[in-house]
Amino acid sequence: MITSASHDRYRPLLPLSRTARVLSGLTLALLIALGWGAASGALGVSPWALINGSADELSVQVWWQLRLPRLLLGVAVGAMLAGSGAAMQGLFRNPLADPTLLGLASGAGLFVALWIVLFQGSAAGSLYGQFAAGFLGALSVCLVVFGIAKRQGGGSAAVMSLLLAGLAINTLAGAGGGVLAFIASDDQLRQLSLWGMGTLTNALWRTTAVALALIAVALWLLIRSARELDLLQLGESTAHAAGLDATCLKRRVVVATSLGVGLCVALTGVIGFLGLLVPHCLRLWLGPGHRLLLPASMLGGALLLVVADTLARTLGAPAEIPVGLLTSLLGGPYFLYLLMRRNRAC
Amino acid sequence: MLTLHKASFTTTPSIAPLDGTLRPGELLAIVGPNGAGKSTLLSMLSGFRPCEQGELHLDGKRLSEWPINELANRRALVAQQELPGFDWQTFELVSLGSNPSNALIAELLHDLDLTHLAKRSVLSLSGGERQRVMIARGACQLLSRRSPTAKDGGLLLLDEPTSALDIGQQQRLMRQLRAWAERHHMAIVCVLHDLNLASTYADRVWLLHQGQRIAHGSPALVLDPATIAEVYDVELLPINSRNAAAPLLALTP
Repeated sequence: MITSASHDRYRPLLPLSRTARVLSGLTLALLIALGWGAASGALGVSPWALINGSADELSVQVWWQLRLPRLLLGVAVGAMLAGSGAAMQGLFRNPLADPTLLGLASGAGLFVALWIVLFQGSAAGSLYGQFAAGFLGALSVCLVVFGIAKRQGGGSAAVMSLLLAGLAINTLAGAGGGVLAFIASDDQLRQLSLWGMGTLTNALWRTTAVALALIAVALWLLIRSARELDLLQLGESTAHAAGLDATCLKRRVVVATSLGVGLCVALTGVIGFLGLLVPHCLRLWLGPGHRLLLPASMLGGALLLVVADTLARTLGAPAEIPVGLLTSLLGGPYFLYLLMRRNRAC
Repeated sequence: MLTLHKASFTTTPSIAPLDGTLRPGELLAIVGPNGAGKSTLLSMLSGFRPCEQGELHLDGKRLSEWPINELANRRALVAQQELPGFDWQTFELVSLGSNPSNALIAELLHDLDLTHLAKRSVLSLSGGERQRVMIARGACQLLSRRSPTAKDGGLLLLDEPTSALDIGQQQRLMRQLRAWAERHHMAIVCVLHDLNLASTYADRVWLLHQGQRIAHGSPALVLDPATIAEVYDVELLPINSRNAAAPLLALTP
């Protein structure tokens, strides 16, 4: 029979102390990274000098107008990409789903590039137009990918066709980008190529503030979906019987992801692999439960992007490496490693 | 608890109008050849695929009018196996969909002979072990979400719960289902392929063929060798069972 001692052998699904420990640890690491990022750059500014007022006016200007918005944008974009990666993986019940791999980011990129070439300089507030273009691009790719996933049902065939669909969309968007580059003027071309490599250089208060607010909404929508994403792992009909409205969940996650990723791409270009790398590492450490995984991925993504961006700014100072190149250099090999390990497991 | 009034699907896979009642404490087996509509019927009983004509009532209220979350307190479904994508530990997977006490998890794992696997990753389990984990999860949902005022233990729907089990585990599972039905006053519906299991353990059997229920009632009545031979297009050898209420069938060589 069952002894009373056996009753406390199972820790609850979400032990509060562990959650608090993990999240506060990640927050602390993020704050340290922010402090480091704030202090370093082409122009070294000591945070202490800023606080006690001994910094000269140029440093203060640089710090407030360039560095701070850039750091905040790094936090928002990192959190959004990694958070949406974790949510997509939950939604497709597949650890290889990621906004870049599935073509969401490049779809958004194509729409933004189209916007730059067609409308740049013509409409007032064109940057918000870029936001809208990014959102629409990501949303349409999301719907296409979902249509394919739905038609294939579950199983490994669906995974295969998802990744192939992502490949096709990425290729198509790449070709579309090439066509746009061909017809663009010199001025537009320069803007396209700078933006396309994925960089946080364009952080201005005007746009960063709007992006922060919208990304916060998207992150909140994702965190609110955590319990339902857990349920979805049971398969759709079983999850329905356990009280999950899957249609509502999918709609919410798709809208939040498209909004967030679209915005990120419009602001920074495509920053690859963050959405794959961060949730995957954290899942190995924390387990697959989304109530911890989602917020931890967001903090981890912010941490990774702030560190990567600070490295990008300082490694070759005063020149800058686009941070998207850095994350792709890091993430590409890791993805290959994942594929090899999966194949061995099968 | 659950009653059907001419409930049916007209679009394929179709189900001809059905009447019937599922009672607490009773084990109902749904049998029939491949493609007879067993899984479709189960998903109709669960409300996942709402019936297109006729009505289904749970506790006197139409199934489609139940809020999805309240319905989950009253019925659980264990669909045919899907591989979980992530490496949940066994006890974590069992508690998905409810907020069970450790005592309940321990009891259910013990019931299904899973205690030694409690902290293993479900991805490392065998097919049969994983199948029992999913069944434990379904029972866990019903038992831990059961309201204190409920008169019965709810409705547990199982799609081919024995498909990956060896004969020893099949016997233990079917006995356990009977025990749950009695102990918790649950209504249990199983889709089964093994007619002898249905005959030995079910209180009632529904025999489906091409979307129609062609026989229903006690196992002795429904699992009549002549009917089964015709429906399944098979040559059978009735076995002299010690229990006339539970006829057994074997295949001829």
